[in-house]
Amino acid sequence: MGYLRAVSPFLGAIVLAFVMQFGVAPMFGAYYQKLLIDIGINIVLAVSLNLVNGFAGQFSIGHAAFMAVGGYAAGAITYYGSFHVFGDALVHHGQGDVLFLAATLVGGCVAAVAGWVVGLPSLRLKGDYLAIVTLGFGEIVRVLLQLTDDVMFKRADIEAASVGTLALALGGALGFGGLPFYTSIVWTYFFAFTLLVIAVRLKTSGEGRAFLSVRENEIAASAMGIDTTRYKVRAFVLAAFFAGIAGSLFAHEIGTTLNPRELGFQKSFDIVIMVVLGGMGSISGAVLAAIVLTLLPEFLREAASYRMIIYALLLISMMILRPQGLFGVREVWELYRRPKVSRPQVRPPGSLP
Amino acid sequence: MSEPLLDVSGLSLAFGGLKAVTDFSLKLHKGELQALIGPNGAGKTTIFNLLTGVYRPQQGEVRLGGRLLNGLPTHKIAASGMARTFQNIRLFGDLTVLDNVRIACHLRARAGLFSALLRTPAHVAEEAAIREKAMALLEVFSLADRHAELSRNLPYGDQRRLEIARALGTEPKVLLLDEPAAGMNPQEKVALSELITLVRHRFGVTVLLIEHDMALVMKICERITVIDHGVTIASGSPLEVQGNPAVIEAYLGAPSAEGH
Ligand SMILES: Nc1ncnc2c1ncn2[C@@H]1O[C@H](COP(=O)(O)OP(=O)(O)O)[C@@H](O)[C@H]1O
Ligand SMILES: [Mg+2]
Repeated sequence: MGYLRAVSPFLGAIVLAFVMQFGVAPMFGAYYQKLLIDIGINIVLAVSLNLVNGFAGQFSIGHAAFMAVGGYAAGAITYYGSFHVFGDALVHHGQGDVLFLAATLVGGCVAAVAGWVVGLPSLRLKGDYLAIVTLGFGEIVRVLLQLTDDVMFKRADIEAASVGTLALALGGALGFGGLPFYTSIVWTYFFAFTLLVIAVRLKTSGEGRAFLSVRENEIAASAMGIDTTRYKVRAFVLAAFFAGIAGSLFAHEIGTTLNPRELGFQKSFDIVIMVVLGGMGSISGAVLAAIVLTLLPEFLREAASYRMIIYALLLISMMILRPQGLFGVREVWELYRRPKVSRPQVRPPGSLP
Repeated sequence: MSEPLLDVSGLSLAFGGLKAVTDFSLKLHKGELQALIGPNGAGKTTIFNLLTGVYRPQQGEVRLGGRLLNGLPTHKIAASGMARTFQNIRLFGDLTVLDNVRIACHLRARAGLFSALLRTPAHVAEEAAIREKAMALLEVFSLADRHAELSRNLPYGDQRRLEIARALGTEPKVLLLDEPAAGMNPQEKVALSELITLVRHRFGVTVLLIEHDMALVMKICERITVIDHGVTIASGSPLEVQGNPAVIEAYLGAPSAEGH
């Protein structure tokens, strides 16, 4: 029975993803269905960045770069892979979905490796310095992607080209167009719910508390036997993996272009805002902030060009009025539970070990 | 006598031109309770930082149970059985009292990241055991009924006691207490000295205590080492140290020594 408990939330994630697709989505038109996908992707981004910024307390502002790495890696696999398997880059449900899933997971892994490479040397840095390194990494990724060659679109050329050539044919500054649109509500929410299960399980386990201790006080954490560098790198790698997955979802979504500019500093900043607004360390806070901040620009179309100003003002007022974010480290369901005075609800434990 | 549990010899550290600790040696036998005293700025906290790997010794050796600890990172030293509290309290302020202790208990846990994510039966059992152990520790320190509070909301004295409870969560062989009674009133100090004695016997830990309150130290410690300007000026039983002229001049003689 223990093993049923181990996997049932993950099965629940799959079921819920289908509920989102066939229960929730049909209530909305195509426009809102796309918004639902955007929300799901932003949930993945905010909750994963929260592992680094909120749980481990390391201020990273280059999350979109991991998204780009994962998105481009996955995109290259589905696009060029589709030519090899199907002869074109259209959507082929069934086999194509398997290809998409594999590409997405590979994209996540490539992003995770990037997270490890960036994380290992830079996590010895603190605060502002780490932020600058992650920012610099984002810019490097953007510039490198802009330097790539044009996308190939002739079947004969693609079949003749080597893997190395294809890996560099990512569209440059124009972006990587022509990817098959595999991203559906099911896929998006499957990954979003899976990440949520992982994040909640992490936060409520010894491993997750080790992340939190690093945020709270590094010196005390290491004095209690926590290998702080290791946990920081873990947070970074795990977050980068899911950013890569979000990148793949974004790349294969209808109505988006995979473009170095789209996944630059501004996108990273958007994600940081979600985490800061929701509360550093609050999973439900990050989810709520992702929902609100995805919908807000849609309902304030006219104000869209002032978005960065609004965000900046929002951020400044948050820092002044509620520096811990809307929920602080707590979850939504904990808000009314924490007593001011202690309650004598403790079950007296057994004898000492 | 048998091999000392903690064997420190010739430890030295200078911050630039400031010789914070010079040629410090100490032998701590299993089950002993020793004190480290000296005026403010004498180098006591720096010695703890050297023992726990926060600073690397420029000279000298630290051995725990015969194993050389020099150059090991702090978390490995903790794993080898040395735990400490901090003079300037360093709790995990935004986490609950219970979580503070549970994090320390994590050191002896075996289930890793993947069993946590899969909630394997082994992980579930271990989490329950850790909770039980942490609550039992909090019970000893009369903090059990505040386990759900954020640790930064605790009164000062409770925070100091939580620091000790947390250190014990790592199941140490040697416990280093850095001015655990600082800021406490006389009654609290008496209670604390009784608590330290209790903890020592109940958990079988060997204790090295930094404390300003001479009365407290004299009462509960077997042996006292006095340092001044990083140099050991006396070492012996409370009576021997009390009568030592160098100590009286450096430390006991100064009427303002107490209460730093
Ligand atoms: N990180 C540091 N850098 C420079 N000087 C330090 C540092 N830590 C401690 N000191 C100095 O070393 C001396 C001993 O300090 P400390 O060990 O904290 O004294 P005590 O704990 O006995 O009051 C003091 O003069 C202090 O200013
Ligand atoms: Mg000190």
